[in-house]
Amino acid sequence: MTTTAPPIEATDRAVGRAAGVRRGRRSWLLRVGWRHLVALLAVAFSLLPILFVVSAAVNPLGTLSSTTLVPSGGISGENFVALFERTAFGRWFVNSVLVAGLASAASVLLSTLAAYAFSRMRFRGRRVGLLSLLLIQMFPQFLAIVAIFLMFGTVTELWPALGFNTPLGLILVYLGGALGANTWLMKGFFDTLPREIDESATMDGASHVQVFLRILLPLVTPILAVTALLSFITTINEFVVASVFLTDTEAKTLAVGMYGLVDGERNNNFGMFAAGTLLTAIPTVLLFQFLQRYIVSGLAAGAVKG
Amino acid sequence: MRIRSAGVAAALALALAAAGCGGDDEPTASESPRAAGGTLVIWADDKRTAALKPFAEKFGQANGVTVEVQAVANDVLQSNFVTASQQGSGPDIVVGAHDWIGNLVQNGAIDPIQLSAGQRDAYHPTALKAVTFGGQVYGVPYAMENLALIRNTELAPQAPSTIEELVATGKRLKADRKVSEVLCLQVGQNGDAYHIYPLYSSAGGTLFGTTPTGDYDPKVLGVGTPDSIAAFKKIAALGEKGEGVLKRSITAENSISLFTDRKCAFLVSGPWATTDIKKAGLAYDVTPVPGFAGAGPARPFVGVQAFYVAAKGQNKAVAQEFVANYVSTPDLAVALYQADPRPPALTAALDQVRGADPDLAKFLDAGRDGAVLPAIPAMAAVWDPFGKAEAAIIGGADPAATITSAGRTIADQIK
Amino acid sequence: MDNHELGAGPAGPVPHRSEDPTVVAPDDAPRRRPVRPHRPAVTATALAVRAVLLGLIVGIAVWAAFPLVDAEAWVGLALLVAATAGLCHLYLTRRHVPAKYLVPGTLFLLAFQVFPVLYTVGTAFTNFGDGHRGSKHDAIVAIQTASVTQVPGSPEYALAVATTGDPATGPLVFLLTDPATGAVSAGDATGLRRLPPEEVTVGPDGRVTAAEGYTLLTVGQAGARSEEITNLAVPTAEGAIRSAGLSRAYEGRALRTYDADCDCIRDATTGKMWTADPELGAFVAADGERLAQGWKVGVGFQNLTRVVTDPNISGPFLRTLVWNLCFAAGSAGGTFVLGLLCALVLHSPRMRGRTLYRVLLILPYAMPSFAMLLVWRDMFNTDFGLINNLLGIHVDWFGGAWSARAAVLVVQLWLGFPYMFLVATGALQAIPAQLTEAAAVDGASPWQAFRRITLPLLLVALSPLLIASFAFNFNNFNAIYLTTDGAPFPADNPTVGATDLLITYTYRLAFGGQGAQYGFAAAISIFIFTLVALISAVTFRRTRQQEEVYS
Repeated sequence: MTTTAPPIEATDRAVGRAAGVRRGRRSWLLRVGWRHLVALLAVAFSLLPILFVVSAAVNPLGTLSSTTLVPSGGISGENFVALFERTAFGRWFVNSVLVAGLASAASVLLSTLAAYAFSRMRFRGRRVGLLSLLLIQMFPQFLAIVAIFLMFGTVTELWPALGFNTPLGLILVYLGGALGANTWLMKGFFDTLPREIDESATMDGASHVQVFLRILLPLVTPILAVTALLSFITTINEFVVASVFLTDTEAKTLAVGMYGLVDGERNNNFGMFAAGTLLTAIPTVLLFQFLQRYIVSGLAAGAVKG
Repeated sequence: MRIRSAGVAAALALALAAAGCGGDDEPTASESPRAAGGTLVIWADDKRTAALKPFAEKFGQANGVTVEVQAVANDVLQSNFVTASQQGSGPDIVVGAHDWIGNLVQNGAIDPIQLSAGQRDAYHPTALKAVTFGGQVYGVPYAMENLALIRNTELAPQAPSTIEELVATGKRLKADRKVSEVLCLQVGQNGDAYHIYPLYSSAGGTLFGTTPTGDYDPKVLGVGTPDSIAAFKKIAALGEKGEGVLKRSITAENSISLFTDRKCAFLVSGPWATTDIKKAGLAYDVTPVPGFAGAGPARPFVGVQAFYVAAKGQNKAVAQEFVANYVSTPDLAVALYQADPRPPALTAALDQVRGADPDLAKFLDAGRDGAVLPAIPAMAAVWDPFGKAEAAIIGGADPAATITSAGRTIADQIK
Repeated sequence: MDNHELGAGPAGPVPHRSEDPTVVAPDDAPRRRPVRPHRPAVTATALAVRAVLLGLIVGIAVWAAFPLVDAEAWVGLALLVAATAGLCHLYLTRRHVPAKYLVPGTLFLLAFQVFPVLYTVGTAFTNFGDGHRGSKHDAIVAIQTASVTQVPGSPEYALAVATTGDPATGPLVFLLTDPATGAVSAGDATGLRRLPPEEVTVGPDGRVTAAEGYTLLTVGQAGARSEEITNLAVPTAEGAIRSAGLSRAYEGRALRTYDADCDCIRDATTGKMWTADPELGAFVAADGERLAQGWKVGVGFQNLTRVVTDPNISGPFLRTLVWNLCFAAGSAGGTFVLGLLCALVLHSPRMRGRTLYRVLLILPYAMPSFAMLLVWRDMFNTDFGLINNLLGIHVDWFGGAWSARAAVLVVQLWLGFPYMFLVATGALQAIPAQLTEAAAVDGASPWQAFRRITLPLLLVALSPLLIASFAFNFNNFNAIYLTTDGAPFPADNPTVGATDLLITYTYRLAFGGQGAQYGFAAAISIFIFTLVALISAVTFRRTRQQEEVYS
């Protein structure tokens, strides 16, 4: 795999040369060791607050606040058990994975289509369209809630299958935001692919659909995976719209269901909440594990050669 | 190529899902009139939803009505209810704190409830007073709550009768390194008007004047008056630049856990704190929040949780039946108490649980001098500026200038 | 050359572009439309896929049409038909290629983003908010209902709801038992009529359990006719008998009634009058007292002018704006630098444990952010926070303007860097290896290769994202609301704090008073929106040539 990460290898070489050392421990340190050091520091930074959550999750006293990382009430799995016994956590979990999975898949599809057009075609209103996509995302969401109520009040009456308390309706609303940041992200990557690739394919008689599906999509696999993951995470953590949409306990997603745990008036159950937070991260981590090979597959670099 | 087939598959799956839901729709449509009485929808927060469900279902089965209890997160419950009501997609009944009444009434979101004289007598008078607004009863109360002083009896066997006594005891314990804080009273970075109010009222401060009928009068603002300045001077003396008893670093998140960690011997909190304290296995007692020596009694706010009938509900007659005639059964009140230990507002239910839980009577006793939490819409303008002024003063700002400016801000907001 | 530089990033100019065989030369006008020498052949699969998809569109449209026909929503139906026809046309014709790719997402965008925004913008010209949500009619109903009180001295009736006909459709009758006398009367919209005692059976609770000529409704049956029951008022001399639930009734009367002649509300006991004020959307008395229940009216540009003229808003506006810009730039820039650094560090095949590192680094992004914001707020606590305890210091983080700002940015960094890390990891993979190899062959040092080739290419891919991230953080409500909530506040002004963003500040102004003022909030949002739009548009213009170079 000479194609992965050439710039960094090159950097390593330079650093090595500058130090005048070619082999040995010092060289390892300069080539890889510093990477571990930086990575470890970053990991420490990213894990520190999460340790608090772990501590709260195993603390039967159910508090998110502590001066130390050691749980004040000892360690127990009480919160995890309570989560499944006292709430519809399992159900929320399934709903979340379903909604986030479908919404992110559809959202990647929609935004890839749009990004292809924005990157590869020139048409009237292209720049304005791109800019509007960005701007529309900036409108404060808490104000839009009133309009969503208005709209889905009618939808619920006419098409109950798409109305309040249905995952499908929620997915539709999420798809409204699919074009926003994702299109920008994808377009940026399409832009880095040389035009010659698709132009020569077009010369050979490929249609725009074939260029898109057979030539460009494989080249942007890493970013498709990244977009899918980002979109999944955003959806699974989305609260504002979901809380308006889902009032039926059985229909709730994790974000809505768990928010209810901490927001009882002046009476919070952080322990169960923390336990739930940790469990929520599981599907994301699994998905990331699954997608990692696409993200770092090096497919893109290989394909350019052809 | 993998991606391509995946894309096509995803598109197909989506489309099929859409079509599938179309197919599903027919049974749903024919299902809805399954219960002849239609559906009664109740919105409550998570805790109460769990407690209400069995009773709601019982009511539904007995009467041939489908009852759905839906949980809405507490801090969006009120605003979502008003918005949804306005657009006709709201519930028939909503459960919430009594200080929502003013706002719900100005939006025409709830209807008055006609209780018979007998029904009225069954409730604790303070609870009934709390749900009365402009001479009308708008909600059926089921639980009350107020702050009290919770103390660790191992560290402080004697209940202090004044704040000064409390501070002296706390300081002694601190000097002995038995505790690290004199008092756990949550302040937070931006203040907490609810928790400071007992001290503020003891020192002579008020929020609003009262009308001849005994309601709060938004036209007479008590914040920024000389009385309020005097009160905050006393509070400032306890602050970070004074005795160090009140601190902004003690917050809603950590005050109870500091107490259960034995970092302080005194905690000002409500019935909701007892669950954790019992779990931690502390010996504790509940007494009224003490006032300043030689000043008035501390008057904690008394809040009431109540059921309301939505003005634009689809099933108002049944909703009224449920709220006015079914909620007043002691069994339901006891079940709600078990879900969340706050004293029931129904005297009969209170008597039923009083024996098993001595804390209840103590909390009620602590609220005897309490002031009903104002339900007028103007109160919404008070919380934030008042809290911030409190935090600033505890942090060492000048009481007179700070509270005067808070009063001006509040007055600007109340048209 | 300066066209290739990004305002935000440390991108240097890209030299030797024309010498590099794989980088495309600047796109010039004649080449904008790709030439298409051969008309592509249409395969059978493509046709089949197209047929299936179009079939689905039509199928969904037909499914959606039925409820519209039932509800006689002809405008909706016309829209649906037009949209379906448009879609079919679009995908059957060979023209409008870009639209084929853009329309699917745009439809959703229009429905669920553009419409809500336009609706919100519309409210900026009204007094929409708490107390002014509905129509005048709604307000009148609310005022009258709220004033219905029991007639003094009147009995509390035990009620049974009955009908003389079919339980589902027959005319409704209230069977009322006077608890004092036990006398039973039947009441309907025409009035009360005493029933002979021998014709009725009364239960132990006083309610009628059977009556000749009447069918009693069960609660379920009554529930189905809930609205009729609520609206049924049996007229009496003093007022009317209404139901209080399904088992009790009372004689009440509305103390306040609407009089269409004077367009006012009159109080029967005091005689006080509140006249409708169509400008305010409220009933106002001569002494200036307003009834709380108002209605929604247009107020023209009043909200917008208030944004400009209200010293509470315009006073701290500039200072808040400057911090807001710094916050957004700091958040976007900081997360980008840290994310890119992590991605670069892990972008080496020799590095062991990369998979594990990557998982650990994206964890902050996988946790629900509102929970983690609360955790961070706790960590910055002066006396009990982990940060002060670990470092052995006693800093009142949220008490000082600068320390609070720094703290907020650290939290933002933590929350946001995994996103940039992920994107940068993907971007590094997508950069063709030949470019840097070629540079190495040309004798460029690795640092030069990175700075001159990798970084600029990364920025092509990521600069749109940096703008998007800036825009998102400009309005990042939760980041402030859940941590400092604007703190620290000057002692003499509780309305605007040192870490307040325009959006949190707006929220406090619009929702902090006597309930929510949506119209006003929308007006402030329009201002903020215009501002961000201008900034973004300017930045966006600068990326134009750069984009053309690489595409």
